[in-house]
Amino acid sequence: MAAEPVLKTDEKIQEPQIRESSDPVSKRRYSYYLEPYDETDRPRKFLDVMAAMLRHGTYGHWLELYSKISTKCSRCAEVCPIYDTTGDPHDVPCYRTELILKIYRRYFTVSGMLRARLGHAWELTDRHIDEMAESIYHCTACRRCTIECPLGIDHALMTHLMRHILTEIGVVPKALVVAVREQLEGATHNTSAIPVAAMADTSEFLEEELTEQLEYDKIKVPIDVEGAEYVFFPAVSDFLLEADTLMGNAAVFHATGCSWTIGTGNFDGINYGLFVNDRYLRRIIQQLVAEVHRLGGTKIMIGECGHASRSAKDFVPVFGGPDPPEVVNCMEWTHRMLTEGRLQLNPDIITDVVTYHDPCNIARRGWIVDRPREILRSFCRNFVEMAPRGRHNYCCGGGGGTVSIDEMREYRTGIGGKKKADQIRATGARYVVAPCANCKKQLREIVEDHELENVDVVGLHDLILRAIEIPGAKPAADRAAAAKTATDWKGAVENG
Amino acid sequence: MAEWLALARGPLFRLSFAVMVLGLGRHLVVTVWGLVRAYRLSDDKNVSWRRAARQTFDWLVPVRHLRQRWFYSLMSVIFHICVIVVPVFLLAHIRLLEKSIGIEWWALPMMAADVLTLTTVAALLVLISGRVGSGAARGISRLQDYLIPALIMVPFLSGFLAAHPTLNPFPYNPTLLVHILGADLCILMVPFTKLTHMVLLPLSQLPSELAWRFPPDYPERVARQIGTEGRAI
Repeated sequence: MAAEPVLKTDEKIQEPQIRESSDPVSKRRYSYYLEPYDETDRPRKFLDVMAAMLRHGTYGHWLELYSKISTKCSRCAEVCPIYDTTGDPHDVPCYRTELILKIYRRYFTVSGMLRARLGHAWELTDRHIDEMAESIYHCTACRRCTIECPLGIDHALMTHLMRHILTEIGVVPKALVVAVREQLEGATHNTSAIPVAAMADTSEFLEEELTEQLEYDKIKVPIDVEGAEYVFFPAVSDFLLEADTLMGNAAVFHATGCSWTIGTGNFDGINYGLFVNDRYLRRIIQQLVAEVHRLGGTKIMIGECGHASRSAKDFVPVFGGPDPPEVVNCMEWTHRMLTEGRLQLNPDIITDVVTYHDPCNIARRGWIVDRPREILRSFCRNFVEMAPRGRHNYCCGGGGGTVSIDEMREYRTGIGGKKKADQIRATGARYVVAPCANCKKQLREIVEDHELENVDVVGLHDLILRAIEIPGAKPAADRAAAAKTATDWKGAVENG
Repeated sequence: MAEWLALARGPLFRLSFAVMVLGLGRHLVVTVWGLVRAYRLSDDKNVSWRRAARQTFDWLVPVRHLRQRWFYSLMSVIFHICVIVVPVFLLAHIRLLEKSIGIEWWALPMMAADVLTLTTVAALLVLISGRVGSGAARGISRLQDYLIPALIMVPFLSGFLAAHPTLNPFPYNPTLLVHILGADLCILMVPFTKLTHMVLLPLSQLPSELAWRFPPDYPERVARQIGTEGRAI
């Protein structure tokens, strides 16, 4: 059932609502910042790009089909967490899709052109472009509407197309394009602009930290090992923010005898091309594949990151050239090792309530749904589910790249993240496991903005690190006791 | 009046039917061609046909999807069943066909036909009011979304009245004429409106399997055409 809308809007659709900025300095036009660009003649430029897209891509077929069969049944509205929260008709997925179908019918079909000859034709205006530019970043590209559309209309694909076209004419969130620029044209070739030396230092630090925690010095974070089977691409921000996740990965790889390496040529799985533009998407994929070839590796291992996993899994075969490397997510590896009995996890370490958040990009099409749950159930005593879950989960609210757009935080956590906040609250969980760098950032902001108390957002491998038993290393129970003493000390000091 | 009836039942019906068949045929060919082209242009041939088939079947027999807005969804399913079953298996229609081309098949009992006809009309009323009553649906609805269900109601209601002269406040022949002309119009409109989904639905889950498998170098070709190739990001 639809929840009571938070924002009441007029019942009729009238003017597109571009949310005005209250920030007097930036005077921004949309919810996000843009870089300066040539704003003249946008409708013509839009149509030029769209014509090229239809000519060289396959989008024309889908636009043609969708504009014929769309029955406007509004079922997508029932399942869209954004619409459910705002109650704003502009947020109905089918309404958003119609923004591009309308242009297609008017400018790219015979009947549209004939109608234009006869007068009374609708014309593409700057205002329509403004509405589209705002609308497509209200959508978190979670694709919940896509699997619920009786007519099979892929609204996420339509959003993807609109984002691509608008990027080509200069309308793209600055936060996203800056990240892509650094990744493709910058000195560091990664979205967080981490130099190789800093990455190597961090890896060394991770090794030392593992040695200290486990009193065991054999776990390595191998760099540039030629001929390693798996080349590992985490979300590069994990090097800055998610040390425990990476240490968990390294510990599992060590315990299970995985042949893996991080490459210095490219160590970033993030692909914001997926959110803005297929040209960037393709080049980032080619960078991944080139690094695997350089190192003589055979497979791509993606760390805990939803969109990085999907972009590699789906687009390495598309853009990766002949004989593209196989793509594996680190959770698939860990699950396989666990079921083969090659990974020991102590079931007495994690006793608090744990819940699991499905990153849309790996769960929506049913790729990775049960495996992380089976891993968690194997060693977490109090595992609880959110409802709905799995393929039908709610997005964290930061999908589609919006999590990196800091100026959208209020919208992201207040509207996009409201459903998730309610879900987390309902589980009463101490730990929310989110195996995705973007989901983690967003969920932490949700926890903060919705004042969820005593909730920690962690990666799957963070918890595994605590429970893993490696022969020769300090047992998990002893490590937990040591950690507890340290926390108690810290608490005692803080409380005077 | 007899000439009018003959015109509506004969040439106009045949014309509408021919337009529908040809139009739907064209839509089918264009859609299949698009799907085949997308498949051929992509480097990634590892399509999950099973998933597409399951999705398609799921929506053709949408029992698993009835939970969401269950009453509206159920009425929608009932409507779709009735709108096919009633005209195709109505005894009067089969007789007509048997007289003209000599083919006949099993017919609905009269009582069942009556019940299903009224159910269709009731379901249509629910569908229309569901559309009017929901802000989201109203916001995305076009004129055809209101007119088509209203138009479909015409032959069903007039057909029922024609079959029950005692309940019919209007004379028989004009009622029958409205029935036939309404049906002709419905049939004629099929290829030009959202009713095309009657043949395209079984194919409509395939695009989201195939569409993301882009042709490998298409983004560069787009950039070349619009003059942004090689330009710094």
